[in-house]
Amino acid sequence: MTSHEASSTPTVSITEAPPNVTVLQQTPQLIALYTIIRDIKTQRADFVFYSNRIIRILVEEGLNHLPVQATSVSTPTDLTYKGLKFEGKICGVSIMRAGESMEQGLRDCCRSVRIGKILIQRDEETAEAKLFYEKLPEDIKDRYVLLLDPMLATGGSAIMAVDVLIAKGVPVERILFLNLISSPEGIDAFAKKFPKLKVITGFIDEGLNEQKFVVPGLGDFGDRYYCI
Amino acid sequence: MANEPTAISPASLASLSTICYLPPWSRPHIIGIAGSSGSGKTSVASQIIKALNVPWTVILPFDNFYRPLSPAQREKAFANEYDFDAPEALDLDMLVNVLTDLRRGKKVEVPIYSFSEHNRTELSTTIYGANVIILEGIFTLYDPRILELLDLKVFVDTDLDICMARRLRRDIVHRGRELTGAMKQWFSFVKPNFERYVRPTMQQADVVVPRGLDNVVAIDMLIKHVQRTLASKSRLHLEQLGQLVGTKGANTALATKEDIESLDTVRVLPQTPQVQAMHTILFNRATTRDDFVFYFERLMAILIASALDYVPYEAKKVQTATGLDYIGLAATTEICAVSILRAGACFETSLRRILPAIAIGKVLIQSNSRTGEPFLHYLKLPSGIENKFILLVDAQATTGAAAIMAIRVLLDHGALPENICFVTYLADKRVAIRRILAAYPKVKVVVGKLEDQIRRRFIDTRYFGT
Repeated sequence: MTSHEASSTPTVSITEAPPNVTVLQQTPQLIALYTIIRDIKTQRADFVFYSNRIIRILVEEGLNHLPVQATSVSTPTDLTYKGLKFEGKICGVSIMRAGESMEQGLRDCCRSVRIGKILIQRDEETAEAKLFYEKLPEDIKDRYVLLLDPMLATGGSAIMAVDVLIAKGVPVERILFLNLISSPEGIDAFAKKFPKLKVITGFIDEGLNEQKFVVPGLGDFGDRYYCI
Repeated sequence: MANEPTAISPASLASLSTICYLPPWSRPHIIGIAGSSGSGKTSVASQIIKALNVPWTVILPFDNFYRPLSPAQREKAFANEYDFDAPEALDLDMLVNVLTDLRRGKKVEVPIYSFSEHNRTELSTTIYGANVIILEGIFTLYDPRILELLDLKVFVDTDLDICMARRLRRDIVHRGRELTGAMKQWFSFVKPNFERYVRPTMQQADVVVPRGLDNVVAIDMLIKHVQRTLASKSRLHLEQLGQLVGTKGANTALATKEDIESLDTVRVLPQTPQVQAMHTILFNRATTRDDFVFYFERLMAILIASALDYVPYEAKKVQTATGLDYIGLAATTEICAVSILRAGACFETSLRRILPAIAIGKVLIQSNSRTGEPFLHYLKLPSGIENKFILLVDAQATTGAAAIMAIRVLLDHGALPENICFVTYLADKRVAIRRILAAYPKVKVVVGKLEDQIRRRFIDTRYFGT
């Protein structure tokens, strides 16, 4: 990396975060992927493709927080191999609409995973998050839940989604929250509210602007992924 | 995840760089066959190649090196008045250059000459990777510079009457000439030039073969000679591969897993719970092929992404949708891939999912099942690899021989060692990895799992089901 002047040094994620937060390793490749999706000039085809690449890395990192069990198997060459096997049932829950963009990345790693949905919108009058809709697996309390939302700004809707899951009987320590970009304020509020919950984020950005958007961020993730 | 890798210690770096790998084609065996036109040189050469029956042998005909003719000369040529049988008609300087390059193991372009147009064509043939090269032509033993480059000099001495009969038949039946014109050429040029220039070169020959192809005993001796030469080259090649491992005091420093992982040119995938669970699925013989393919591709996606951290990046400033600037990184070098067939082809689906437009070249290197000696059978590389970052992929590296040969092929085609990244799922840590690092200290190596024992190749069999 060339850094003759401070202004040409690439910006990486803030690393200070509560202990239950894992920030993805800031490799040159990951930063290059973020550079593409942050660029306002990136068209949707590329935005979707490169977001999916980051999501895949996030999902792989998230899955590493799930339990495994020792096992031994016979190899094709008739040797015994001592390894690990996946343990416990999982499901995904996406916070609509942007969270749905992360479902494919989850399915790419866990083919037949069940996926629930939660729709939370900001109430225009009170400016507070409001639950509009939820559809979750019936046995969700017996599963590890991968909660999906690419952007974490104030943390309001993520907190509400976790409350919904807790109300359904999911132990909070079995919830993993996967997120692409977060604000330091949002991640702090969210992670401190649920200290037993695990957060995996790709990037903690500088902060929030007046409209409560993550900055420098990448704009409205759902719009860029689905609409504009 | 792994932290920033620490730099290699200067002592071990110095010891690593002292070894170099020479593939069989770095010093090919060059046989020259001379004789009159129609003496059966080409048939003798073909017979030897046919009997050897290995792909890395090649015939280099002198005919390709005729000089392009001027319009006036071409007119004479069509009137059978141009002397094609004088040394001046041939571009001997060019031949010497080509032969010198071949002898150094370089890739060469050989021009293609058109007899019907009496001119050099725009086309050329590429010769690369040959262990045995047979140069045949009337002037093979004429130029002292060429004599010096030949390992075995053969003169085919056939009765001139037979030569003339063969030549006339060929000219009339295969080259569409008239009898009178062909006769005229024989008596005015071919025969006198043979007596003047070619016959005296017989004394340069190591072997004189009377009666050409009819001389079964002599041909058989030549074939046996070449076979012995190839066998001794194989022995040397294997010995040399063997020397790349610690025994010669070279990289004994890289004895442990930690030593290997501490090099900044080596990255072993962090063995996370998910990665370990995927190894277990892939190693389990009870796993269905459906699951095998799925988990192999899932794991290779992680491996390829890890390799992409070796691509050179530079800072790039972009504006985000919030109107603010973000300084990030962008790759500076185009990426291409080369798979070592067949097992390397298991990577191609995963590669295309991560880099949809990537150019993928192929190298087929097969190892002798008895000796383990690798042989280069086929080669097709993306263009412009000298400026690209190359992911060289193979599912398993057991002895490292195929990888070492493939890297040499890339270097011979202009790739920069620091831009080559060898990516493999499984690698034997004592042999494969150390050999590769010893032969090419600048090449990057990305491994899914370091193995303590040499495991028979099984990935491609499971992946393809054959």
